[in-house]
Amino acid sequence: MPIIETRELRKVFRSVKRTPGAGGALKTLFSREYVDKVAVTGVTMSLEAGELVGYIGPNGAGKSTTIKMLTGILVPTSGLVRVAGIVPYERRSENARHIGVVFGQRSQLYWDLPLVESFELLRAIYGVSPERYRANLDYFTELLEMGEFMGTPVRQLSLGQRMRGDFAAAMLHDPQVVFLDEPTIGLDVVAKEAIRNFIAGINRERGTTFILTTHDLADVERLCRRIVLIDRGTLIFDGAIETLRDGYGTHRTLVVELCEPERHVEIDGAEAELTTPTLARFRFDRRTMSAETLVRRVTEKYPVSDISIEEPELESIIRRIYREGYVAEPDAQPIAP
Amino acid sequence: MRFRVEPYVEFAKKAFAREATYRMEVFTNVGSLLVRLYLMKMVWTALYAQNTAPAGVPLHAIITYTTIALLMSLVLEIDGTRIIRDRVREGSIATDLMKPINLPLYFFSDGFGQTLLHAMLIVPSLLLALFIVHIDVPSPFVLLAFAFSFALGYVVNFLLNFLMNTIAFWTLETFAIQLIVRWVSDLLGGQIVPLIFFPGFLQKIVLALPFAAVYSTPLLIYVGTIPPSSYPAAFASQLAWGTGFAILATFVWRGALKRVVVQGG
Repeated sequence: MPIIETRELRKVFRSVKRTPGAGGALKTLFSREYVDKVAVTGVTMSLEAGELVGYIGPNGAGKSTTIKMLTGILVPTSGLVRVAGIVPYERRSENARHIGVVFGQRSQLYWDLPLVESFELLRAIYGVSPERYRANLDYFTELLEMGEFMGTPVRQLSLGQRMRGDFAAAMLHDPQVVFLDEPTIGLDVVAKEAIRNFIAGINRERGTTFILTTHDLADVERLCRRIVLIDRGTLIFDGAIETLRDGYGTHRTLVVELCEPERHVEIDGAEAELTTPTLARFRFDRRTMSAETLVRRVTEKYPVSDISIEEPELESIIRRIYREGYVAEPDAQPIAP
Repeated sequence: MRFRVEPYVEFAKKAFAREATYRMEVFTNVGSLLVRLYLMKMVWTALYAQNTAPAGVPLHAIITYTTIALLMSLVLEIDGTRIIRDRVREGSIATDLMKPINLPLYFFSDGFGQTLLHAMLIVPSLLLALFIVHIDVPSPFVLLAFAFSFALGYVVNFLLNFLMNTIAFWTLETFAIQLIVRWVSDLLGGQIVPLIFFPGFLQKIVLALPFAAVYSTPLLIYVGTIPPSSYPAAFASQLAWGTGFAILATFVWRGALKRVVVQGG
């Protein structure tokens, strides 16, 4: 049985229609015209226990609306949602026991109190047994190296320290599912790596399911095998990162350093671009032309000092999808069942 | 699911500890109380020197009234539910909703913890106040009735604050409303001037308002204007306000929650 399941999950926000201007404001006071904004247009997905999924989309795509419905703090307009067998919004409190949340931009720690006191409070809230609490706290303290600032008031912690505290706080009650919303935002590379190692470790050792929402695609590349893309409220891709890469990887870029500066470059069958007068980039479809053919054509036409082929970065793929929309290429298989 | 008291005890303890970290504020409160007390004493003494005692209340009784009112304010002026407003504005109310807890009860325990710390200031403040004024001490029975009435007033006051802070779910900002309500309730609640000083008709109105349940009723019990024979009626009226506000708060809270879970806050 999947641990998270949604079917045709939909959320429409309704707000009072506002007419601009002072007269409009007055009109708004008395008229009750509504505008509906569809935030999520029918999302169907299913996650098995122990998966680590990247949930990606541009701002306003409907990511956090989906997450809110999964955590039970938002009632869907229609559709089905189930987390660990529970319909979250019907039994919010019970659902809360199975889930953990980490918001990169918001802390659930007690600002004025030493870090350890927030943990004690969470122990009381979730009714974690003293043995379990001890064991988890020792484990996280070691893994996240929190020993030296356990007694420091949270407001005096660095962002990296605070994030580590927030991670431990979200995991103390052994949740089955953890939602991560931009967990590495604003962190330096070392702290980012520490957090990523922690997520990967917990996922591996405890089989905790993670849904990772982030704009930092390095997080996703490092942690997730599966990626779910959402745009304008609709799922546009659900599958392995490799599938996405292969689907878009039909296009490669040949980067060529020229011996002599050029004003203009052109090759049949490739999109050419001059980055600097001596650096040209040729984007080509590997199904219609082999790299070898392109290299030959280029070297025949221009004196070349160096050549390399660029694999598409996940980031550039996603950027292209945001810009152009997802277009499934014939040999790619989007929306896995 | 089984209800557990532990989290709420823990909330109160943490709120207590949190308040204790603001030591300067705590001392300032005591200082400001003493200044206010001194000024009130000067005002009343000057007024009484010019006029006959209004409503048959002698000067020492009014000084006692004022002193006790100020000591009560140490506790009653703590708006324990302002965290509702803060958390709604920051949006962290969403994380609170993701916890397996009863939120209004959480706010109450948190407010209670804050109050407890400030309540500890009552005795030292009283001792310091005795350097400025002399106060009457009634019989233990009256003191007990006063304490009970004070507790009821505390609950009414909490619910009043809770209601106002919950407005934040709709308006985000409640400061102006709260300031107005605070002034009105200080004046009409009998914190500054005993309500029995209001002229006939007006007195009937202000005594019937909920604000009287917070300060006036316990204070009038303390100074003896409400005799033991009227205690049941006084308590009943406080209880009625408490119950009424509790029902109202339940509805408003439900509306607020609905707004969050349907509109997304």
